[in-house]
Amino acid sequence: MRLDYIEVCGFRGFRDKLRVTFGSGFTVITGRNGVGKSTLFDAVEYALTGSIDKYIVEKAAQESLSDYLWWRGAGRADAHYVTASFKGDAGEVFTVTRSRESGADKTPTEIEAALCRNGRPDDALRQLCRTSIIRDEWIAALSVDLSETERFELVRGALGLGQGSDFAAKAKAVLKAAEATYVSRKAAYTDVRDQLTRMLTQLTEAKDAIVRAGDVSAAMQTLVVATPDAPQELVARLAAGRAALAKGRAQLGAIGEAIFQGREILSRRHALETPEAVAKRIEAQQRLTAATRSKEDAERAVTEANKVLTIEERGNDIATSLATIIEHGERLGLHDAHCPLCAAERTDEEFAAGLLLARQRMTVLAAGVAVARQQAAAAREAAAHSSANFEQARVAWAEIESELTRQTAREQAHVEIFERNSLDFRFVQDPDGLERYLNVERDRLINLERALLTLEVSQSVAKTASLEERVAALRQVAETAASAVESSEKALVVAKTMDRGVRSISGEIMDERLAQISPLLNELYQRLRPHFDWRSIEYSVRGDVRRFLSLKVGDGLNPQFVFSSGQRRAAGLAFLLSVHLARAWTSWRTLLMDDPVQHIDDFRALHLIEVLAALRLGGRQVVCAVEDEALAELLCRRLLSTSESIGKRYDLDIGPNGATTVILETEIPPMPTGVLRARAAIQAVG
Amino acid sequence: MDIATQTEVLLRILGYETWTLAGTTATVICFENAAVIGFVHVFPSADDLLTCWQESQNVALSRHGPALRAAGAKAWNVYSVFLTEEQAPTQQRAIERIEEDFTLTRKIARAGVRTQDDLEHTLLPLAAVRAKPLISETDFEDRLRARLKDVSPDALTAFLGTTAAEEVARILAEKA
Repeated sequence: MRLDYIEVCGFRGFRDKLRVTFGSGFTVITGRNGVGKSTLFDAVEYALTGSIDKYIVEKAAQESLSDYLWWRGAGRADAHYVTASFKGDAGEVFTVTRSRESGADKTPTEIEAALCRNGRPDDALRQLCRTSIIRDEWIAALSVDLSETERFELVRGALGLGQGSDFAAKAKAVLKAAEATYVSRKAAYTDVRDQLTRMLTQLTEAKDAIVRAGDVSAAMQTLVVATPDAPQELVARLAAGRAALAKGRAQLGAIGEAIFQGREILSRRHALETPEAVAKRIEAQQRLTAATRSKEDAERAVTEANKVLTIEERGNDIATSLATIIEHGERLGLHDAHCPLCAAERTDEEFAAGLLLARQRMTVLAAGVAVARQQAAAAREAAAHSSANFEQARVAWAEIESELTRQTAREQAHVEIFERNSLDFRFVQDPDGLERYLNVERDRLINLERALLTLEVSQSVAKTASLEERVAALRQVAETAASAVESSEKALVVAKTMDRGVRSISGEIMDERLAQISPLLNELYQRLRPHFDWRSIEYSVRGDVRRFLSLKVGDGLNPQFVFSSGQRRAAGLAFLLSVHLARAWTSWRTLLMDDPVQHIDDFRALHLIEVLAALRLGGRQVVCAVEDEALAELLCRRLLSTSESIGKRYDLDIGPNGATTVILETEIPPMPTGVLRARAAIQAVG
Repeated sequence: MDIATQTEVLLRILGYETWTLAGTTATVICFENAAVIGFVHVFPSADDLLTCWQESQNVALSRHGPALRAAGAKAWNVYSVFLTEEQAPTQQRAIERIEEDFTLTRKIARAGVRTQDDLEHTLLPLAAVRAKPLISETDFEDRLRARLKDVSPDALTAFLGTTAAEEVARILAEKA
């Protein structure tokens, strides 16, 4: 397949419809910067892939290539599309049109089918464009300046490993699945082994219990005695025995409490009934009786004394009045021999005697009240003393009474313990007897418990058989699981072997392919001659998982670091051209080179043109864009143009409307043949 | 090695017409194809080459002056090839410098041309690309089968076929 024509309309710098029909031998496109030479290459790539690889990562101000794919200049474009047409050696035509409105009229599969053969790499159309359109800005970047892993990937992607990459992915998936199976089976095996271990522990315990078990019949006798009313069935009787055991243990607790309380009560009772305690109680009672009586007597004496005092105080009041009267009568004196107080006829003597007598009477009256007061005070003091004595006696007696009451309450509570726990009342006042009973009961319960254990263990004999069966079954399951683990482990090893095998063969194929293209790389390098002394270039591949492809010149030197930019581009061109020529998976035999001679001196530009001429000689269609007109002329002269594979030249410029236009389309005629020989012959004849 | 004869052989293999030019000090072989015409000048020594290349070139060109004038644009594609069998390490650079002289013709100058391979390398600019790597379909499946002969054939067939990876893993476990 060769590129027949590209037709663009409203695409990037091309506003109006323009068709560039390529020479089937070669086409040289020339024009100054910015006239749209590169856009023609972009158009080919866009038609094939729907994208332009060189712009993929270039984004600015939230804008991307899609914002600039179509005409944005002055005026309107009639349409927006790109058409790329290809023609085969037998005249078959394949055309793909991609428009702004409706996308491509061919699917990627159809395009691949037209341009690619078997063994194509992944993302074949992108690889096809990447290795067919060699752009100025990528010559060094995509070759010498690539990292070793990127370079390896570029070559691997371009050469294609066909099935290899598919199988590599599948081998990884198989390995992953085998690993998952192994992990899952290993977990299942571990789980079964855990179950088996637990089961074996249970079995061992059951067997040990059987060994430790005593006489079953004696135990049964003990149980029957302990549970006389229980059903005959063993399990029910065992349950009744367990209940009786629990009840008995609870009663033991109560008995212990009753023994403690009984001893306490008895001790206190003894203390209360000692002769000293009895005498003390009688004495206290007597003291209380006497104190009561004494207190009552004193209170009566106080009452009497108070009565006397009242009388005496009344007399004292009279005496006070009498004194006033006497003083008044004395001051008045007799009046007409009559007493001024009683009007009785009196003499002075009688009057004086009467006053004296009154005064004596008054003195008597006054003296009586003082005595009465003293007696009343004495009576109150005696009453207070008696009252204190009484209070002392009462408190002492109250304490005795309280102790007696508490003792009675204790005794009542003690009786209630017996009632509540159905204890034998014979032991109410016999804690020692109760303790003996307790010991007997404890022995009975221990015997009952042993009997129960013996009988329960006898049941586990049957359980042991069941456990043994289950252990055997689990052993079988564990064996199967172990076998499954082993097989999945082997499968994992095989899967790893397969994965390694696939990777190894892929690597070998890659190595072989590189070895196959090595002479081509070297030939192109020698033709381009980037360096005077270092006449050959070698590659080396290393790494297993990540692979590295390095280029070496001279004595193992990295051209990236020892070459000038022009030399790097020359070496890079050799690398990219060798990759381009080595592709066996495409039928498209067109090399498109966009301004490949920048930064290259004239001597090496000449070498490059000779390489392109050599490619032409080999039948490859060459499309080359250059800025320099002289170089364009040189290309047109040097590349082979024949009547079957004609050469063409396009001169581009920007038209008055700002869009790209073709200002000159020239068909390059074949050179005359045999001119030198013919003339030489003529001269020889002449 | 008879450089002149071998050059003619090689050029003819490359599709050129060749003939020798008589009456010159050095051996001169003329060649021409659809795009290129040229002269191969063979010198006995490096010194001779360095001393006589211009004279020899001029003689050849003047002899073919009328033809070159009639050749039109093809006259721009004239090659002058200067060769000597002598190994001349000290003169190698000076000899190859001749190639950077762009007057009149495109020049190829080389000393130490002793083998067919040397000659082929020297005349590369006149030849189509020689190396043609034949990268064919890989025999990946056959290689994998040979490499993994210990793997069960069923599993390998499933792996190489359309069987899902999980199923292949199951078959591997089954066959293990």
